[in-house]
Amino acid sequence: MTIDEAKFILSAYRPNGSDAGVPAFGDALRMAASDPSLSAWFAQSRAHDAAVAGKLRQIAPPAGLREAILAGAHVSDSQRSHGPGLAWLAGLAAAAALAFVLFSMKAPARPETGAAAFASFAINDMAYEKHGGRGEPASALVAQLETKGARMPGAEQIDFEKLRDTGCRTLNLAGHDVIEVCFSRDGATFHLYVTRRDGPVGDSVARGPSFITEAAGAAAVWSDSRFDYAIASAAGAEAIRRLL
Amino acid sequence: MTNEAFTQLVDAHYAPLYRFALSLARNGSDAGDLVQQTFYIWATKGHGLRELSKAKSWLFTTLYREFLRGRRRDSRSSSLEDLPPGEKEPAAEDVERVSRIDAALVMSALQTVDEAFRAPLTLFYIEDMSYQEIADTLDVPIGTVMSRLSRGKAQLRTAFERAESPGPKVFPFPGEKGARAS
Repeated sequence: MTIDEAKFILSAYRPNGSDAGVPAFGDALRMAASDPSLSAWFAQSRAHDAAVAGKLRQIAPPAGLREAILAGAHVSDSQRSHGPGLAWLAGLAAAAALAFVLFSMKAPARPETGAAAFASFAINDMAYEKHGGRGEPASALVAQLETKGARMPGAEQIDFEKLRDTGCRTLNLAGHDVIEVCFSRDGATFHLYVTRRDGPVGDSVARGPSFITEAAGAAAVWSDSRFDYAIASAAGAEAIRRLL
Repeated sequence: MTNEAFTQLVDAHYAPLYRFALSLARNGSDAGDLVQQTFYIWATKGHGLRELSKAKSWLFTTLYREFLRGRRRDSRSSSLEDLPPGEKEPAAEDVERVSRIDAALVMSALQTVDEAFRAPLTLFYIEDMSYQEIADTLDVPIGTVMSRLSRGKAQLRTAFERAESPGPKVFPFPGEKGARAS
């Protein structure tokens, strides 16, 4: 076996060591143990594989996907349990539910992180998820949000840990906590989403607000020194713009 | 299969299936569609699988087939003969580079790898699948899996280099308003 052949085989060796006892790797592993250059290459290769695997596992599915899967399957289950006389009706319901869940995921292709992704995440959550479960520390924040003419809160009004730890609705975006607080103003409902600046949105959010509009509603995203913010509402971009 | 068992199956596999789909489809909405379609097929056909221990493999195989079915409709797949060879061997700076960049950028780099290499590479990284399991899931010979892993990794390292080079990362938005004091 040549060095190149050993490298070729060891490329399929999993970084967690699960393949240590697999005969197909035996010769290549023995060669790596006795050849310093191959040994160094193998160590680098495994470290690289472990780093890539760790990063990829941080990618989180979009909010609502799990519920959409369960909803689609539930209808298909109903289809099986009905008698033949109702099969067409169950089939129709299944098709409608599947069309709905597929439509709900049919947002335009967007990056998985960044301002656009955060805005899209806010709109999807606002439109398709259940809301509520607000903790007591959110009351003061909600009162401020609902005060006519008041500006949106900044870093000094947000105690992220307290809001999260005392029952505010906390979501996950690419492995990072996003706190949501719902409020009403001028007859419209708004959903404020807050995540730390070191999270998935990062430097792509400008200080000034940016807007995005989708079929289900609109969202604005902005940032300050500590947090990235998104506000989503079915009332549209103009209603959000009046808040800012 | 009871609703509870189905929910457990979804909870156990939908996130890694989404990551696999995202690497194949290269956008979140198509990836979500693929995952939903896979579980829908399970709900209508796969629940009859006798050995639940094979559910994971069944789900990944089904998702991959659904992806290929869609690709055939698009008629844009390339043959292996057209694919460029792998380019680069791992170096210490490659590991540091991956540690520095965020998960989304790692996924973006993976999505630039040729499709034939991307599927085995993703199963290797995301699901910790052995080369034998990858061969079973993708229905290709073991030697082919090894070859694609080797060449795919080389392409991925090159993609990381490109990903880290400076470039625009700002998303354009309409309706920009003046800066707001925080």
